[in-house]
Amino acid sequence: MLNIKELLEDIKSNPYKEIIVRSPHTGTVEFAAGKSGDMVRGRAGTWGEKPGTLLAHLTREKNKKPIYAPEKGEIVNIRTELEGAFVEAGQELLTLRHYLTRKEVIERILKQALFLFRAPERAKYYFIPEVDQKLKVSGKRSVKVFEGMDMLIVSRMKRETPLAYSGPEGLIYSVYFHRGDNVDEGEPLLGVCPEDQLSTIQDVVARVQSEWEEDE
Amino acid sequence: MSNRHKILIANRGEIAMRIMCACRELGHDFVCLYTPEDKYSGHVELARELGGEQSVYKISNYLDANEIFSVADQANATAIHPGYGFFAEDFRFARRVVRRDRPMIFIGPSWWIIRDLGDKINTKRIARSLGVPTIPGSDRPIYDEMEAESIATHLFEFQRAQDIRGGMVLVKASAGGGGMGIEEVQDPDQFRSVFRRVRNYAKRNFNDEGVLIEQRIFDFNHLEVQIVSEHGGKRHVHFGTRNCSVQSTGKQKRIEVAPGFAPAEVPYAFDADRVLDEITRHSLAMAEEVGYDNVGTWEWIVTPRGEPFLMEVNTRIQVENGISAAISRVGEQEHVDLVREQIRLGLGDTLGYDQSDVRFSGISIEYRLVAEAPERDFAPCSGRILRFQWQEAPWLKMYTQVPKNGAYEIPMEYDPNLALVIIWGENLQQARERGVAFLDSLILEGEASGHGFSSNVAFLKARTQGLLEF
Repeated sequence: MLNIKELLEDIKSNPYKEIIVRSPHTGTVEFAAGKSGDMVRGRAGTWGEKPGTLLAHLTREKNKKPIYAPEKGEIVNIRTELEGAFVEAGQELLTLRHYLTRKEVIERILKQALFLFRAPERAKYYFIPEVDQKLKVSGKRSVKVFEGMDMLIVSRMKRETPLAYSGPEGLIYSVYFHRGDNVDEGEPLLGVCPEDQLSTIQDVVARVQSEWEEDE
Repeated sequence: MSNRHKILIANRGEIAMRIMCACRELGHDFVCLYTPEDKYSGHVELARELGGEQSVYKISNYLDANEIFSVADQANATAIHPGYGFFAEDFRFARRVVRRDRPMIFIGPSWWIIRDLGDKINTKRIARSLGVPTIPGSDRPIYDEMEAESIATHLFEFQRAQDIRGGMVLVKASAGGGGMGIEEVQDPDQFRSVFRRVRNYAKRNFNDEGVLIEQRIFDFNHLEVQIVSEHGGKRHVHFGTRNCSVQSTGKQKRIEVAPGFAPAEVPYAFDADRVLDEITRHSLAMAEEVGYDNVGTWEWIVTPRGEPFLMEVNTRIQVENGISAAISRVGEQEHVDLVREQIRLGLGDTLGYDQSDVRFSGISIEYRLVAEAPERDFAPCSGRILRFQWQEAPWLKMYTQVPKNGAYEIPMEYDPNLALVIIWGENLQQARERGVAFLDSLILEGEASGHGFSSNVAFLKARTQGLLEF
């Protein structure tokens, strides 16, 4: 049985996550954000359609690409010496200190409560078309999985192979991968909740919602 | 000799290394790209060694054209060499290179040639118009399931009427290439599900759902003709044929041999010299017709009865160009380098020789050393290589991005190719013996070796014995 209080205390002892903002590609950098210590807003809106605070612009091939803060937080290290310079892909531009949201805390705790179906190898993962369609139309908890069920396509080194689910029967509660992203070996792909434990999981969610205070 | 250029190499691994070396031989500068996954690759090390730190740029993705152009501008590159794969057969990219505000030279065929021949369907139409034999099936991309099924049914019936055993059709992503996105169907009832799978694959990988449906030709040999054409498309020569029939189950070439057949040493049920002559003639005729203007490969399949069918044209340098170079001599030159020829011609130099100056000598074999497990359906392996050594020999060329004595992490983002090995022998027997001697001398150790490298080498060795037999 999960000790929710202990897990919450543990998270509260260090409720921050450091987010390094890097240049997504090559280009010339112009910073738009202020200085270390300034607070920035993250993406917002029902579908994340409202961008966060503008941090910088990266220009290449006459395209000025804005770089927004991915999450709410405090700027702790901004590389102002790069202003006006041509940077390579992956160059560290600044670091944000982000206070965990209720949703993130729930996700962290659920990872300990759900059965995690993990990536057998580093690869890109996709749902097979039938499952993908069902998830899109009816939502995550509409898909019941069982041992040996064809569920994912593993794409690596330009080869695609099917991957069957292995684990207890249950409903897909969480999906931890994004289409097109690489997932490292051992990282969780799915969180599966056996149907008889659904009420326990919902209790966990309710407790975190009442006990975790959001940073205003 | 053309002016001194700075050539941006929009590729990775061994081909990037060969382009760098060719640039140096021709007196040109280069700019090299790499992604975070490729930080240990030998091409990055060689670029730093030959060109210094300022010749190396880290990018996010080899397939981001904006990224490539931004580096080209920053480095003042005057030409772009696409290598093979990535942008090599993307006519839009080639067109953008020559038409942007700061135009550069695209080292490859003109963009309109890539457009016309890069499209398998259009190639088929051009071939048919010239009387070049092509595989029975659709000659345009099919998007509609009902129409696709009707074509497949027709092909199944045709094969039954011809008394072809176990008739099958191939379903291919029309925008695919290199063996990607191809599946076979034997049971007409299975056709729809395969069609949907290939269409989904094509959409994910090529952003085009178009699918080709063709008759599956059984027990064929896969041959190629290497064409080299001058800028302007007026003069064309061939550098012989290749046989690329040893492939993995994923239709990826694993051993290639030049020339395509060896009738002096191997008996064939048909006139092999006539077939080689026929495919070379047809390839040159097509190159002439379309005004081909750089290096390119005409790919053929030859049936056990000696009937050739044109499959496609690869409007780029091929991975296996080295074996054609190994068996060729031009005039007094002892050494032919097709990558160097491609750069030279791409920058506007004249051919400087004609077909009568090209001579052929011996047999050459290329092995692709790949991190994969043949016993597990050629599943690719990633992992760390700790030791990679082989016995040097004057008849052997090794092209690899794996540092010879350094650790190397195989990136999972790309093909699992580790090295290309080119062996030359005076005849087939000697080439095979040298091939086996090389494979016996190879030491390839790493974390993935238990389920990959050793079985790949055993597969290559086993297949060496029957090379060019048909």
